[in-house]
Amino acid sequence: MNFWDKLGTLDRRWIYLLVALSVIFPLIVPMSFKISITPEARQLFEAVDALPDSSVVMLTFDYYPSTVAETEPMATAALHHLFRKDCKVVTMTTIPLGGPSMAERVTRTVARKYNKVYGTDFVNLGYKANWVAVLKGMGTSIEAIYPADNSGTRLSELPLMATVKNYDDVSFIFVVADNDIVQNWVSIVNAQYGTPIGAGVTAVGAPKYYAFVGSGQLTGLLGGMKGAAEYELLADARGLAEKGMGMQSLAHLVIILMVIVGNIAFFAGRWSKKGKVK
Amino acid sequence: MLKHLKIRFLLTFLLTFVADYQLAAAQTSDDIFRVDRINALITFVLFSIAILLYIKWAKEGKPLFIRKIAGLDAVEEAVGRATEMGKPVLFIPGIQEIDDIETIAGISILGRVAKITAQYDTPLVVPVRYPMVLAAGQEVVEQAYIEMGKRDSYNRDIVRYVAGEQFAFTATVNGMMMRDRPAANIYMGAFFAESLLLAETGNAAGSIQIAGTARPEQLPFFIAACDYTLMGEELYAASAYLSHEPLMLGGLKGQDLMKVLIVVLIIVGIILMTLGFGDAFRNLFEAV
Amino acid sequence: MRTIVPVIVAFLAGFVMIVSFFFNPERTFFGRIESEVLVWVTIVGGFTLLLGVVSITRVNWHAVRTKKEGWVYNLFTLLSIFVMAIPAMLPVSWSQLFGDTEGSIYDWLFFHVDYPMMATMFAMLAFYIASAAYRAFRARNPEATLLLVTATLVMLWRIPMGEAFLIRVGDTLLFGYNLPESINTYIMNGANLAVQRGILIGAALGAASMSLRIMLGIERTYMGKG
Repeated sequence: MNFWDKLGTLDRRWIYLLVALSVIFPLIVPMSFKISITPEARQLFEAVDALPDSSVVMLTFDYYPSTVAETEPMATAALHHLFRKDCKVVTMTTIPLGGPSMAERVTRTVARKYNKVYGTDFVNLGYKANWVAVLKGMGTSIEAIYPADNSGTRLSELPLMATVKNYDDVSFIFVVADNDIVQNWVSIVNAQYGTPIGAGVTAVGAPKYYAFVGSGQLTGLLGGMKGAAEYELLADARGLAEKGMGMQSLAHLVIILMVIVGNIAFFAGRWSKKGKVK
Repeated sequence: MLKHLKIRFLLTFLLTFVADYQLAAAQTSDDIFRVDRINALITFVLFSIAILLYIKWAKEGKPLFIRKIAGLDAVEEAVGRATEMGKPVLFIPGIQEIDDIETIAGISILGRVAKITAQYDTPLVVPVRYPMVLAAGQEVVEQAYIEMGKRDSYNRDIVRYVAGEQFAFTATVNGMMMRDRPAANIYMGAFFAESLLLAETGNAAGSIQIAGTARPEQLPFFIAACDYTLMGEELYAASAYLSHEPLMLGGLKGQDLMKVLIVVLIIVGIILMTLGFGDAFRNLFEAV
Repeated sequence: MRTIVPVIVAFLAGFVMIVSFFFNPERTFFGRIESEVLVWVTIVGGFTLLLGVVSITRVNWHAVRTKKEGWVYNLFTLLSIFVMAIPAMLPVSWSQLFGDTEGSIYDWLFFHVDYPMMATMFAMLAFYIASAAYRAFRARNPEATLLLVTATLVMLWRIPMGEAFLIRVGDTLLFGYNLPESINTYIMNGANLAVQRGILIGAALGAASMSLRIMLGIERTYMGKG
């Protein structure tokens, strides 16, 4: 096996080491970059910004703890934007594993900064089993699906929910998700009830939803940590996503470098073999 | 017969065009029937006719051509490799519950694969994430072994419940791959972020890998890390393809006819929209 | 009976939901079936969660009792289930450690154990994608070359310094052509959008066909019947 063959079949642990270094380095030497805004992120921001103050917005925490690096900054930035506009926020989740806890923690942390009162300015509905039933059922009556909020308080005792009975009373739905639920929000809620929906999704899922943005079924899209950083910039709520762009940048560059090295090794190995055959 | 059918389809379509345009505007909350959903009804009826028609022709013995799907042809080859090496075949029917259509497709394929492993006496390992999938998987594999006359070779632990959480499941299966070094890994069903974790570990373990999922966002990972990948509807076609049963193949062909119809409608729509007459045509497909 | 009854149930369940979709819920019983069934499904869904807990407990207890290979991990699984679930089910009025509010045992375990473990497993993808890309992105043939070039362009586009590099390349080599905008327009909103739509349509038709086959009893392998 010559040098090029060895390079082409490099032990994957060297690659893991390089990626690890690329992620650790920006933690030691902070890096900041100018972040450009994609049209889809701007569309989402402008749609939310155009809502009249005091509009009711439903913010969904449809992501698992595994993807918090990408999705939680989106939810946080969205909450900053909504609370600054004095919008009323109704949060809910279709994720049983920690969804209600994450919704509770993130919302209350941001709400404290704006002196928002639970029950009047925001409500956490929590989780109910079977998302199809939940998404469809809320079109008729939110109270039928969620008789009480996440902490067990009856919806009738919460001032905000006196005016929010179903999707007709919701001006916008901001879905933050790491799974297919966005598609179901679009096909069940947007298609049947007409409520505008914007989505923040992981980078892996984002390419799929360009089709929905293109057809107008989604009003804007945030993709991955870059999308979260864009929204943080637009909403003037700089946070973890913007800081994480340094790590993501270096990691991407390392991967591109490895791909180039792999191809050089591939072609050089081929040519050296052809040379030997001749 | 086919020409007659084509004329009937065309007439139905034209009538729908007129009827839908008129009726959609007239929907009121007093109506019993949701006329604004008539386009969905027409689509459903056409779809059912297409499926049932091809099933009828399949029953009559008409030969139905299905193109080769390399990934499915490789299943028998993969099992053969496992038999020669004396190593097991690892099959994962996705990580979703039994109510997910992809999991049902995965379980159907498991039945076919279990027949092949039973035939060659190849060890089969099926880790699952949910109890209901465990029950369905055990039923399917047992039935496969009985049909191949290998009831004694069947073991309840072939299908095993490993963990209920996504990454706990992935970590367990990765551990199984690195310890047992299966010769072939077959992933058929719904996968999420763990797709690359599983496929890359399988690659490191030296297994031949065949994957199939209908989730477009996971396809790139399987394509990069697996030897064969079934994309989208090929997963749903797999059960019919492996069984070669006329009834199942008939259903597959019917679905293809609908796809042809959709392509024709897209082309017609492009032409009409380009010429500036597409709005009425587009309104036919408004989802309600 | 064992074969016929499930097929009949599958057919009726699917047929009722399809029929209900086309009737006005305000005027007919058929239209209301859908919303009624969905409420029942929510209730049943809650019980299936309970079923899941019972099954996990049963399977892991059996492994511990029979001392199967790795039984210690099964024991740890059982302990984890009860240590998290039991305090969460107890009323907060008894102690701030109970329930699932901030400061409870459940909350602490979730945010200090579960949360970082799940994030760590997901983070491993970064390493795995790097090794997969190193191995798979080779210009072996025209299709692989196209994949390689597209992936590289999109990876550059998604990072600020990459975007700056692409703008510089466009300015110096391509007479001011805006490369990042072109990637967004022609790759993400062009080729990618078209392909995603195609796969979605195909997968949806496949799922519908499979559902119809299940309803009609043609597809019965999921029941164990070939």
